[in-house]
Amino acid sequence: MEISDELILENVNRFAALRGQGTAPNVLAFSRVLKELGIKIGLSQTLDASRALEYVDVGRRADFQAVLRSNLVSNKEELALFERAFDLFWRARPPQESFTETSDIPSLPPEEPQIEQGSGENLQDLLESFSAGESGKDGDAEQIPIPTYSPSESLSKKDFSDLGIEESRAIRRAILMIATKIATQVSRRKKRATKGEEVDPRSTMRKSIKYGGEIIELARRKRRIKKTRVVLLCDVSGSMDCYSRFLIQFMYGLQNELWGVETFVFSTSLSRITHLIRSKEIAGALERISHSVVGWSGGTNIGRSLATFNRDFAPSLVTHRTVVVVISDGWDRGDVSVLEREMQALKRRCYKMVWLNPLLASDNYEPLCKGMQAALPYIDHFLSVHNLNSLVTLGRTLQKMVA
Amino acid sequence: MNPKNLTIEKVQEALRKEKYICDRSLATVVYLSISMGKPLLLEGEAGVGKTEVAKVLAEIMETKLIRLQCYEGLDANTALYEWNYPKQMLRIKLEEVGRRDRGAVETEIFSEEYLVKRPLLEAIQGNGATPPVLLIDEIDRADVEFEAFLLEVLSDFQITIPELGTIRAKARPYVFLTSNRTREIHDALKRRCLYHWIDYPTFEKEREILATKFPEIRERLAGQICSFMQQVRQMNFYKRPGVAETLDWASALIMLNRDELDEKTVQETVGCIFKYREDLHHLEEEIAGKRIDLDAEAKASGAQPD
Repeated sequence: MEISDELILENVNRFAALRGQGTAPNVLAFSRVLKELGIKIGLSQTLDASRALEYVDVGRRADFQAVLRSNLVSNKEELALFERAFDLFWRARPPQESFTETSDIPSLPPEEPQIEQGSGENLQDLLESFSAGESGKDGDAEQIPIPTYSPSESLSKKDFSDLGIEESRAIRRAILMIATKIATQVSRRKKRATKGEEVDPRSTMRKSIKYGGEIIELARRKRRIKKTRVVLLCDVSGSMDCYSRFLIQFMYGLQNELWGVETFVFSTSLSRITHLIRSKEIAGALERISHSVVGWSGGTNIGRSLATFNRDFAPSLVTHRTVVVVISDGWDRGDVSVLEREMQALKRRCYKMVWLNPLLASDNYEPLCKGMQAALPYIDHFLSVHNLNSLVTLGRTLQKMVA
Repeated sequence: MNPKNLTIEKVQEALRKEKYICDRSLATVVYLSISMGKPLLLEGEAGVGKTEVAKVLAEIMETKLIRLQCYEGLDANTALYEWNYPKQMLRIKLEEVGRRDRGAVETEIFSEEYLVKRPLLEAIQGNGATPPVLLIDEIDRADVEFEAFLLEVLSDFQITIPELGTIRAKARPYVFLTSNRTREIHDALKRRCLYHWIDYPTFEKEREILATKFPEIRERLAGQICSFMQQVRQMNFYKRPGVAETLDWASALIMLNRDELDEKTVQETVGCIFKYREDLHHLEEEIAGKRIDLDAEAKASGAQPD
């Protein structure tokens, strides 16, 4: 948790003026404090909380706390913060022993391991060693047959980091396959349709009344096609350099095959490149991107980039049907707490969060760097993208997700 | 039990009597939910007894439990009401012989007699003296459209059927929602509910649950089972076992007349706890690597085998 006790106390003091005699003003002040700390509380919840207090003996601290908790908190992640704020706000704190009833509340997550972020050169070494170790080990990785594409045997195991532009056609075909799968997903919900396969008894019945109960017209229904949106957020900073070419291929391919894809790249700042790669010809697209994107191959600030995205683009682009795909190695030079906060915000808004990490493929990789650590709890699918096989796995995952 | 003279203690005591062991905070929210008439959203890992709360509560309140199991594609027709088409058709055919007014027939076939009531309508109509307990199970499995629809029902507790008119709840049903958190529930729905997170039980609580459900269980075995579960839940399994698995396992061990756990017994009965091949494999590794201590509890408390 990035929120310090000082910050909580600061807010407690800020709303001290609201506090008064009786529980109602105090509950109001307390929920303002929680709101300020980022817990979503509606007015009706605050009112319900003070109404609920009439039903219990407020002298029993644990009960009092349980009442406020059940009314004001509606997320597991917020529970720990609530407990801390509660203790600081309702200060007369009894000894810990009397709190055994609430012992089932999860405690704060342990401090994340402090990993030294390497300098640029070391990072490069690290990447290289990962890639080198891979070529030997990848043989026993799962073999997924790709029926539509046979000459891919050797290519499918080859790391994308050393891929030539002429091999890119193979990638495009893999992406095409993934994209068609996603685009043709059907929903379990049904709608009326003149050429549907199923008879809709409800409206058939309705129609038959005008013919005196004789069934003349059959109303039909069919399954809906789900329109899933995909938002791609791609890291193009220095540490991702050797994967960049592949990544553009990937973004370009997916966007041009699939309806409703929005593409962004980020390093220290975020740029929308949907319009830049909306063309039939990739070389031109490459050219345009390299001209207009600031900070290509620079440092990384994932948190700030996500914040920009959440503020400027997410409200209109991300809905409960949107799959957000972040492609990054997670090396973040920015403030990790910002990253965590923004990941959380994005996660709540979207349908599924996929994080693709090229480093994940290597056997000895563990998501230890701080950025990755902070982001992990909010990721639904943590996958690797480093070769064609991994793309197929990704395709399957995306397919399952929209199914 | 009359909801008027309910207290937290009574709820906890009654739940205990029905063999549901809960801590005071859960009893408090259940009590609140009944007294305030506000739905209760229970979240937690699979198998920690979310559904069980509603079931047991229906018994305590001596009322009917109406359960709506959510699934993808669940829509108003299956949750609320549907007209009984075959019966309607039959009626129309029969009417053809006589020469009755068509309008009269229509009013007739769209009357309550031809209505198939689904859980939500049933819960709102509530025929008994006490309102029923409505359990909306695994709400996270239904799609978002259904959630929006539910929001409407839960805020007004009334249902409008175009052909019949509006049906209002005489007394609000006691509503429980459960979620396994496969996706986030919308804020608007959450705001209408009390929220409680049910965590895995502590060692002591789980032991108490075992002792309540299986009074015949040996103390040493119960301790071993619970300590095993506590250790396993700390580890990185795909599906961590819940209380439901603990109970399954205990019942299997009792059936097999085992008085204590050893490696062989664990291997024979492991199917009660883990249901995935990867997890079974992982457990084998953990046991082989001596990372699970079967006697951890006995050592800690110095308990004597009985």
